[in-house]
Amino acid sequence: MNGDSPSQILKENVWTNNPIFIQILGICSTLAVTNNLTNTLIMTLGVMFVAAFTNITVSLLKQVIPRKVRMIVQTLIIAFYVIIVDILLRAYLPEISKSLGPYVGLIITNCIIMGRAEAFAQSHGPIISAWDGLTSGLGYMWVLMLIAFVRELLGFGTVFGYAVLPETFTPWTIMVMAPSAFFLLGSVLWFAKAIILKKERGK
Amino acid sequence: MKKDSLIYTVLVTAVAAFIFVFLLSLANSATSEKVAENQRILEARAYLTAAGIVVSEEMDVEKELKSVFPQFDSSKPYQETTLNGKQLIVAPFQGSGLWGTITGVLGMDADFSRIVGMEILSHSETPGLGGRIDEAWFKDQFKGEYAVDGIVIRKGGGKGDTDKDNGEVDGITGASRTSDSLQQIINNQIDKMKSAKGGMN
Repeated sequence: MNGDSPSQILKENVWTNNPIFIQILGICSTLAVTNNLTNTLIMTLGVMFVAAFTNITVSLLKQVIPRKVRMIVQTLIIAFYVIIVDILLRAYLPEISKSLGPYVGLIITNCIIMGRAEAFAQSHGPIISAWDGLTSGLGYMWVLMLIAFVRELLGFGTVFGYAVLPETFTPWTIMVMAPSAFFLLGSVLWFAKAIILKKERGK
Repeated sequence: MKKDSLIYTVLVTAVAAFIFVFLLSLANSATSEKVAENQRILEARAYLTAAGIVVSEEMDVEKELKSVFPQFDSSKPYQETTLNGKQLIVAPFQGSGLWGTITGVLGMDADFSRIVGMEILSHSETPGLGGRIDEAWFKDQFKGEYAVDGIVIRKGGGKGDTDKDNGEVDGITGASRTSDSLQQIINNQIDKMKSAKGGMN
């Protein structure tokens, strides 16, 4: 990775090295939660929070943790923050917690968080690691929100639960189901790759 | 101590695990009161909704629960009350959905001809698919539904069935198995309430 300046990291995580459409990480949740914008927003905010704090913690503890068990300790740290998010949701946003159900716990298995902890936080300072976690979460968020927007709009005719399409609109049932996320993710991948390749060829 | 020695490794892992779990238990006990309160409010709301009352945000649900069910006793299998001259019977239910247990509260007329209201307390169905059994449009379909022969959750338009006399409600599009499970749970519950009531008389 060349260049560790904050703007370089932002650009990489959000665009040129996006966790979803370049690294193809965190696909499980991309398929699962994206038929509803509200769920997607809370879920991606959770991932951002967990990624940032995990990176800070891993970065701070990297001298103390023996190499042999660093993955296990990273998992422990991730699980810690995910459970914190779950506890906070249950206490202060019970409705959201009820509708997201088991998906909050599944943030633990999101490869983006583990990936950034291992690839970045292990070798960088805490502040820049926090930024890396936050921007990785942002890269994850915008792609998921885009997919969720299309799926909710065509699947239910709503945006954030508000009806925007006329009553006569026939919802596309396929958009509610997981397979549609494959198609949409494939399309996003295609467009993003095409733009990136075109830029590279232009140089 | 050498950093790659066995003792150091075990020690660091144990200490790290201890600290993180300790912090978690702190956070858990700090919020447990709030969570328990949320749960109480949720249950009170569910009983009120099952009794056909429209619960608003500002309502003091626990006080309202006492006034609607003067003899509320959670140790009894069902609660009875008379509301606007109509006798009601309200009981909590549970049964297995597609992924886990679905719990809720069902309210019926005392003669078991119509459902008064239905509310979901907890479920672990897929968010956005089966999880939509917890959405208002779905639950509202049960209000006043004719249910002498039980109800049918059918594969329909998925927009909600407004006919209260056909004993049918629209299922969730893309979640047939959750809809089927819930149909069975509700119908079992109606039978259970009938026999519980019959046994008491």
